[in-house]
Amino acid sequence: MTQRRLFAFLDAIAAGRRPRDFDASAEDAEVMRAAVELRAARPGDDAPDPAFVAGLFDHLSQQASAAPTASPIPMRRRRVALGSVAAGLVLISATAAVTEATNHSTPARLTLPAPQRSSLRTGTFETTDGRVMGQIVAYRGSPSWVFMNVGDMGYTGAIVCRLQVADGSTVATGTFDLHGGQGAWSKTIHVDIARLRGAQLVNASGSVVASATLT
Amino acid sequence: MLSTVQPSDIEPSADPATKDRRIRYLRVVDADVYADWESVYRDNIDRLYRLMYARVGNRPDAEDLTSEVFRTALPPLRMASSKGEVRAYLLATANTVLAAHWRQHFGMPVTSIDEVADAGSLAEPSTDAPVSAAPQRAGKILEALPDRYRRILELRFLEACSIKEAAEVLGVSVSNAKVLQHRALRMAANVSSEVGL
Repeated sequence: MTQRRLFAFLDAIAAGRRPRDFDASAEDAEVMRAAVELRAARPGDDAPDPAFVAGLFDHLSQQASAAPTASPIPMRRRRVALGSVAAGLVLISATAAVTEATNHSTPARLTLPAPQRSSLRTGTFETTDGRVMGQIVAYRGSPSWVFMNVGDMGYTGAIVCRLQVADGSTVATGTFDLHGGQGAWSKTIHVDIARLRGAQLVNASGSVVASATLT
Repeated sequence: MLSTVQPSDIEPSADPATKDRRIRYLRVVDADVYADWESVYRDNIDRLYRLMYARVGNRPDAEDLTSEVFRTALPPLRMASSKGEVRAYLLATANTVLAAHWRQHFGMPVTSIDEVADAGSLAEPSTDAPVSAAPQRAGKILEALPDRYRRILELRFLEACSIKEAAEVLGVSVSNAKVLQHRALRMAANVSSEVGL
């Protein structure tokens, strides 16, 4: 069954069609990646359709003028739009972090967009002396996700993020690299986000450099 | 960018002691910013679409994901940010949108955007010339494959042949062409990872 679905994916990519969903294995993903890479090399196919560029511009113009109640852009794959909501919220916050840190010698406490549903929990990473370093968002879904972003850590290198629950125990960790003091990390989690208390950022020497409490 | 402001551009000082000093006053004039969201869009739509296309390999998904990136990224954008910051933000948004796409539709990441390595994809100035490095990468991969593997991948993914057409060109059955294609892609994936493409 999986082989048939993999072949259907390859057939769609070869023909330039949108492939159908299926649960790919790691081995499938390697084959799919190679097919995508080769298909993307077909001469002339990587330029955007002028009608698409103009249509998206029109939509964004409407969104900019109508603001809060802009009509949703037509999405042939609805789940893309739904799934990107959480990502969008995180990235909106991340931008605020970067721009605030750029414009003020001492970053101000950042204001996150108000969560629209109880499926989101947010927190701000702060150092022990109260400087804002970045933000974290936990999103309840299937699976649940945690996204985080830091913008002014002051060094380049690996940093560990620890997610903690109410009793202080760590339920998930992840390592990501900072470049010029900035970096981002996301991870699926298999714990009820209501149980999460917060997160800590730990540097290579094991010191906690910032922590966040989820609200 | 720094520009100089001559003393004559400044109102005379009330302090006579400063009147005759030949001081060049400096002020920050950051011209490396976008004037409005429209200029952000026009400057980045082409390259962002090409980047997405290179990661999904089909136009419908590339269009949806590119739309999603702009729809998400533009409303909260601060125009005071530099062009570099705006592009980094677009790239970070694209990375998240792409990751969500693969995970939701196929259960795992297949391709990704590296916010450091791919920064050049958005940093280059707009030109009419193709900015994708995909043809060069694909060429290197294909060169490393045995003839029949290379040929079926060329037929399928570069020349848009159906599996039946590819089988006819190669003189094999459709079933054999599928097996050949699968093996060729697996080897191509290995080549790609071995040489860091």
